[in-house]
Amino acid sequence: MKKDEKTNKGIDRRKFLQGAALGLAGIALPLDKADASFWEAFFQKHFREMNEVEINKVISRLEREYEAKYNKAIKVGHEKAMPGVLFGYGLDLSRCIGCRRCVYGCVEENNQSLDPQIHWITVLRFKKGEKWVDLENAEKYYNPDKVPQDEYFYMPVQCQQCENPPCVRACPTQATWKDPDGIVVVDYNWCIGCRYCMAACPYGARRFNWGKPNRPVEKINPNTHYLGNRPRYKGVVEKCTFCVQRVRHEPGRYPACVEACPVGARKFGNLLDPNSEIRYLIQHKRVFRLKEDLNTNPKFYYFFAYGK
Amino acid sequence: MVQTIRNFFIALRQIAVGDKRYYVWVAFLSFLMLLGASAYIGQLNRGLIITAMRDQVSWGLYISNFTFLVGVAAAAVLLVIPAYLYHFKPIKEIVLFGELLAISAISMCILFIMVDMGQPLRVWHILPVIGAMNFPASLLAWDVVVLNGYLAINTCIAFYVLYRLSIGKDYKMSVIGPLIILSIPWAVSIHTVTAFLYNGLPARPFWNASILAPRFLASAFCSGPALMIVLFQIIRKLSEVEIDNKAIFKIAELIAYAMGINLFLLGAEVFKEFYSGSIHSEPIKYLYFGLHGHNNLVPWTWFATVLNISAFFLFLFPKTRENFTTLNMACAAVITGVYIEKGMGLIIPGFIPDTLGEIYEYTPTMQEILVTVGIWATGALLYTFLLKLAIPVYTGKLRFFSKAQAVAAHDIMSRRMVSVLPDTPVDDLAKLLVSKHLSDAAVVDDTNKLIGTVSETDIISLEVGQSTGKKTSDIMTPPTAVIAEDTRIQELGKVLADRKMNHLFVINKDSQPVGMISASDILKALENIRQE
Amino acid sequence: MKTYILRVIGLAFFLSILLSVSPTESLEHEVHKKFLVPPPPFSEGIFPCSQCHKGMPVNRTPRKLEMMHQDITLNHMPGGWCFDCHNPDNRDTLRLANGKIVKFEESYNLCGQCHGTILREWKAGLHGKRTGMWNGEKQYLLCVHCHWPHDPEFKPITPMPPPVKPSDIK
Repeated sequence: MKKDEKTNKGIDRRKFLQGAALGLAGIALPLDKADASFWEAFFQKHFREMNEVEINKVISRLEREYEAKYNKAIKVGHEKAMPGVLFGYGLDLSRCIGCRRCVYGCVEENNQSLDPQIHWITVLRFKKGEKWVDLENAEKYYNPDKVPQDEYFYMPVQCQQCENPPCVRACPTQATWKDPDGIVVVDYNWCIGCRYCMAACPYGARRFNWGKPNRPVEKINPNTHYLGNRPRYKGVVEKCTFCVQRVRHEPGRYPACVEACPVGARKFGNLLDPNSEIRYLIQHKRVFRLKEDLNTNPKFYYFFAYGK
Repeated sequence: MVQTIRNFFIALRQIAVGDKRYYVWVAFLSFLMLLGASAYIGQLNRGLIITAMRDQVSWGLYISNFTFLVGVAAAAVLLVIPAYLYHFKPIKEIVLFGELLAISAISMCILFIMVDMGQPLRVWHILPVIGAMNFPASLLAWDVVVLNGYLAINTCIAFYVLYRLSIGKDYKMSVIGPLIILSIPWAVSIHTVTAFLYNGLPARPFWNASILAPRFLASAFCSGPALMIVLFQIIRKLSEVEIDNKAIFKIAELIAYAMGINLFLLGAEVFKEFYSGSIHSEPIKYLYFGLHGHNNLVPWTWFATVLNISAFFLFLFPKTRENFTTLNMACAAVITGVYIEKGMGLIIPGFIPDTLGEIYEYTPTMQEILVTVGIWATGALLYTFLLKLAIPVYTGKLRFFSKAQAVAAHDIMSRRMVSVLPDTPVDDLAKLLVSKHLSDAAVVDDTNKLIGTVSETDIISLEVGQSTGKKTSDIMTPPTAVIAEDTRIQELGKVLADRKMNHLFVINKDSQPVGMISASDILKALENIRQE
Repeated sequence: MKTYILRVIGLAFFLSILLSVSPTESLEHEVHKKFLVPPPPFSEGIFPCSQCHKGMPVNRTPRKLEMMHQDITLNHMPGGWCFDCHNPDNRDTLRLANGKIVKFEESYNLCGQCHGTILREWKAGLHGKRTGMWNGEKQYLLCVHCHWPHDPEFKPITPMPPPVKPSDIK
């Protein structure tokens, strides 16, 4: 008799736990979502495995979702890499004055979250005469009245779009890959948010959406690319894409940072075109890249046009 | 097959049965799990921003715990190797509990990974074929493969052994042997792959050191077995399981060697970093001395180092190793020391300073801690339930028998028997036995309860002519040749042999005789079973 | 005869080396190429200069101006003064050192006289801000859009705000 009582208690306890578990799961799973959109998104295939028809379906679903969320028509392009193009970037360290206009130009163009704040570009400040490009002692929170200050020089860092990217190697789900034009892209609908790529990146270029990204509707740039500046989600990784929405056109615009820089320290072009600015500067200036000993083969070339 | 599944669910009922301490323990763990779950729901809602992790330090408490627990899981192999390869009997018997610990530890590892993900619902993306697993380039993909494989291997081995024990048989080495041989390198590989995960990142000079994989294994072989020593003492105390002290001391001895290697490797690391003094030694400087005024981890690092060194000496000397007070102190020291050193002491300095020289000091938030505690409670509860299932099977308390093995006395007894009252005259009794061709009779009272047995031998032992006037009660023997009707056939043979009888009387619940069994009945039935 | 031929060969050899290390574009080509620039950043109402200077007598003596343009202090080209760049005979234009007249819209040719390397780089797109299409039409800026010719050093500006510290992100 006593044994039965105990067994009964056990069953009741088990039922309670089951109920609690179901309750918790019920909160987590959107079982009440009537629209197929959630399940479509859940089962969406990997971008590179979809054919044109499937991609278009996904794009129209995303545009619908953005429309519903922001009450604003947001165009999501998916332009492919152009043949014969390999993008390169040049940064003139003799000219950068550390004014951060590139940082905020990028934020405006690429729909970055304002709160929690995300900046794809980091501008570092180094003291002249000390360790050369001492990344262990760089400052990024400098805020004097005016820049440049005489004792310092400035160096912006963003995704280096490496030819041998360690982040691509690290990603367990292939959510990030290098496109043929050299841009390393992220599929925000495939990323699981494990942040292994962030640990792997030697340049601190990747950002994570720790919270839900927030950007006022009027500040949203409606010209977006699926792999670039379309509004992102909580829990996914993002980074500079050389403004893929701007550059993959014929003719294509310069990235926003290039146009924002007031001193013309930023240069951009096609490494495969012998007449481009980037080829000119590689040829005529002594270029170097960050952490070259890691063999990441970045396409972001730093140089000094002249000394001051 | 269906019966096996049904038996499994019957066995599961063991989980619901226990004494007061058990219910208190389960209630306590459930409470912690609920705390963790509610903190996790907050995290699902607002995102990982509720943790202290940021872009600069993008992995924290969750991954620290994951790393520590992979080591614990790998250390189950420490028991397997001596047990199966060297037939060290005292350990052989408790390997099962080590494997169950490995199952619990891997489950916790999986949980820690799940709570660390920004988009947990998309976890299926990591699978091959239906997802897009980046194998073999990504070490994380490797980790998913080896950890789940390890979980599968240990689950198969443990449940196979339990299944065989539960049906009263021993495990077949031909079935389990290959799995065990596979599990040894596999256990080493889970921790090596996890080490390679960090090791293979040139972006993080603190981790990008060949010493990482050997150190991982060495520290795993300290913390895992120490945890097991503690758990075995608890199991021993709370159940009928007997665990030989020799087994515990052997494990403790192995910990001493592992810790010695661990400390040597630590020394090698310390020398390399501090002597060469390049910019890449900033992380270890941060750990031991602080960096540019940031020194949150300094006291913890020294504390862990002191614990590990003390534990080493306590394990090294047999005097302290074989004294349970010092042994348990040493176990607590090594578990804590390795937890700190391999957890926060490994993950955080990999990010300090970050790749662009920034120092962000990470201190876990309360919600992170609650989720962590919740997952540990889940693992503890899982291990408790597994033990609740395994211990009765292991000690023989819980057994399932096949249909054939379920044969009981009343299935094979002969119902042809005769019972007499105690005051029946012996002459009448003799006439009865002869007419019925029986050799024994049951003696019952007015309620038909068996109070004795009487056989031909009892009658003929009386001298000729002495039977007049004698009653049955004078010659009857007390009811020793008697068994209950639900006694299983395996026991019957033993009883007969013990009591040197040829016949047994079968009684029901009310002690009333219902039949008789002879040795030949039993033999016939056993033959039938063997042929089935 | 032998020496004459050797001299010719030597000269040809020297010239070919000279030509091989010269810039990719020839000077003739540069003069004719048009650079797309926005209009010069004249202050309100100052252009055309002939509004005031037509009919005014020309005083070629280097001096400090008192009646007009006294707010301009030349912090460029020590020892120089207005007519080193401005055309005394037509204030709506500028004048090169060799006397050639240059429009304000092509003032880069004037700056390039002394800052030749910078001019070369500016033409290649390497110096100064550029907007437009990386594979199409690009806008240049005039030197004077960033460097006021009378005090050309690029002045420090207020930086935009630093990023939020990670410990401040909640």
